[in-house]
Amino acid sequence: MANAHHAAGALPAEPEKATLEGKNKLLGFWLFLGGEMVLFGTLFATYLTLRHGTAGGVSAEHLFKLETVGWSTFILLTSSLTSVFAMIAMHRHQLKALLGWLAVTVLLGLSFLGLEIYEFVEYVHEGHTFSANAFATSFYTLVGFHGAHVAFGVLWITLLILQGLKKGLTVVTAPKFYVASLYWHFIDVVWVFIFTVVYLMGKVG
Amino acid sequence: MSSEHHASSPGKPHRVEGPKNHYLAYVVSILLTMLAFAAVIYGGLDKSFLIAFLVVLGIVQAVFQLAVWMHMKERGHTFPIIGLAFGFVIALTAVIAALYWMWW
Repeated sequence: MANAHHAAGALPAEPEKATLEGKNKLLGFWLFLGGEMVLFGTLFATYLTLRHGTAGGVSAEHLFKLETVGWSTFILLTSSLTSVFAMIAMHRHQLKALLGWLAVTVLLGLSFLGLEIYEFVEYVHEGHTFSANAFATSFYTLVGFHGAHVAFGVLWITLLILQGLKKGLTVVTAPKFYVASLYWHFIDVVWVFIFTVVYLMGKVG
Repeated sequence: MSSEHHASSPGKPHRVEGPKNHYLAYVVSILLTMLAFAAVIYGGLDKSFLIAFLVVLGIVQAVFQLAVWMHMKERGHTFPIIGLAFGFVIALTAVIAALYWMWW
């Protein structure tokens, strides 16, 4: 049935799952996210082990500014919502709205990165450099790895927008958009644990 | 949640998903986040209770986002759930092992 629709030029309701290749891509990506969870889990474990090892340097309690973290959280959460809007537009076969919401997601991702860089620069001025102590090293490794994921996502989604402009919405491009939105949500889920475990628990002591 | 699935009549074709649940997930996430921040900023709560409270809030928010935004509550997500659960078990083992090694 689906093939007859394609011949007529119409997209199926859920174009990302319309082909076996698309379905496989989605499943493969979920398994990749399981692996990502292990990666971040071990980084969290390392951070939790070393977070009191300040060696006389500035402690988490005195270092973190919850205002900056609050804004970062708000921005990333909103970008997760805009990538949901992109997927809703895709299911309605609205290419312009899909690419537009993805562009908004990228812009929010860039502002998140800007805030994070500003935050890190401020910390370095307070003597909290990467090699200052075990706390600093494990902090920058964990939070920096998340930031690197955001940066990669920004680059990836930007390229997908360009490809979308060129090739449009098809059963080939749809799984790519969907997988990128899953990735973006996953980044937000990881951030939930970062602001909880690193920043809020750091303030508690 | 289950009543929602049975609400659409079987004769209908695939319905186009609306943004309502996604707005709800957004509002829930914002509220849980604000509650967590407020508990740290204003609360004079017992330290170990506060930490447990924060972790529970984080897990609830993560599950909410996985279920709604990443569509895990929908059908056909058995293998993704197994994959993520497997990853989560290993990640959790690493965290618990590290904490056990440090604290006891």
